[in-house]
Amino acid sequence: MHKMIRQIAQLTVQTPLLAAAPVTSAAKLLAMPPAITQNVDCCGVHTAASGGLCTKWNKHNYGPRKWLEYNKTVHPPQEADEEPRKAYVCHMRSNIKYSPDKMWYIAAFVRGMSVDEALKQLNFVLKKGATDVRETILEAQQMAVERHNVEYKSNLWIAESFVGKGRVFKGMRRHARGRFGRVEYKHCHYFLRLEEGEPPQHYYLPEPQTPEQQLEQWLEQMRSRKVINSL
Amino acid sequence: MSRNLFISIANFVNHLERLFLPHGGPPPALAYLVHQPSSSTTSTSQSFSLKDLIGDGMLWAVPKHRRSVEKRLNRKFGYPEYVWKPLKEKRNLRSCQHCGHDYELGLLCPHCYDKVRQETQLMQDKIQAQLGLEPVEQEVIILYEGETADQATDAATGKRIVEMKKPRPMWFTKNLLQKSTQQSSDTKEAKPSNLA
Repeated sequence: MHKMIRQIAQLTVQTPLLAAAPVTSAAKLLAMPPAITQNVDCCGVHTAASGGLCTKWNKHNYGPRKWLEYNKTVHPPQEADEEPRKAYVCHMRSNIKYSPDKMWYIAAFVRGMSVDEALKQLNFVLKKGATDVRETILEAQQMAVERHNVEYKSNLWIAESFVGKGRVFKGMRRHARGRFGRVEYKHCHYFLRLEEGEPPQHYYLPEPQTPEQQLEQWLEQMRSRKVINSL
Repeated sequence: MSRNLFISIANFVNHLERLFLPHGGPPPALAYLVHQPSSSTTSTSQSFSLKDLIGDGMLWAVPKHRRSVEKRLNRKFGYPEYVWKPLKEKRNLRSCQHCGHDYELGLLCPHCYDKVRQETQLMQDKIQAQLGLEPVEQEVIILYEGETADQATDAATGKRIVEMKKPRPMWFTKNLLQKSTQQSSDTKEAKPSNLA
């Protein structure tokens, strides 16, 4: 009886992923089921979105949606003499079964790199989150070329890459001497923005100054001094 | 957690009992009347005192001072001289000339290795399927599609032949399974080595 109900519930929830079809109205967004990473298998086999993240148990939790709204902004047409605006694409993957603190190291590593360099380096990062980040970058690259008017898929760099806290399920484990410990099953969301063009030399500001710039700044400081009690 | 609290309270009560009733002394109801004048003398003579227990406010492994932001950042990011926690870019990656994927200098190309590993797995599965769990006494020869074993040399020594139903991969040359290219010598005298 329960198996039948479960199978029927899974059949009705087979709707397309959020990223597949751009949704315009807010009502439609609310009506759509939560954004899970993979489709639930019809046969009831445990897939990646299993356990507490199943659509069956996850209907009230929709995950972050604001990040993908940035893809839908329509910019006003530019003047002829204005510099062409750089194409960008925002992508994310929600509820990755990995700790956000650990995922932060991979997100910070990839920031400011070109897409090819990031994919090459991530192949050799021995962390669980690296595979998710790599897949997200590949998906975003594909989206950029197909839908966001990017000509060359190699001409992209990672402008923004950060992590958010996802669902946390709490459990218990037993220790010796009748003591108990709390176990947290953490998930994280990974957000990514690719921009067209060459990556900058220095991602973080302020840039380290060259000796000439340092000299100039020192001279400026010295010359702007005020001599008190003078003519 | 409640069990832990109970144990700690029970220990504290035991401590108090040992303090107020050293050798079956006066009952606890009159303990504070009897022990007040002599508390100063007993504290110095005995190894522990009441002040040690209650004076500090019974601290059960709590932080004494706030961690400064420098310490916190050092724990998060590590120390550049000792342990650097953020990931470091690898400069020793090159492109493999045979398959085009990337590999680390000094290590095998993972794509080429995977290709060889899969072929080896197929060979091993075929051998196990055909020969089963018999003890290994004779050598096994693997033949691909369109290959025949040299009857003169192999069948005579009784080597077992396993045939694979697929064409030979281009990279799998016959000399890869050769034991050694060095000919075995006929002389019986052993030359001494490591002579000073």
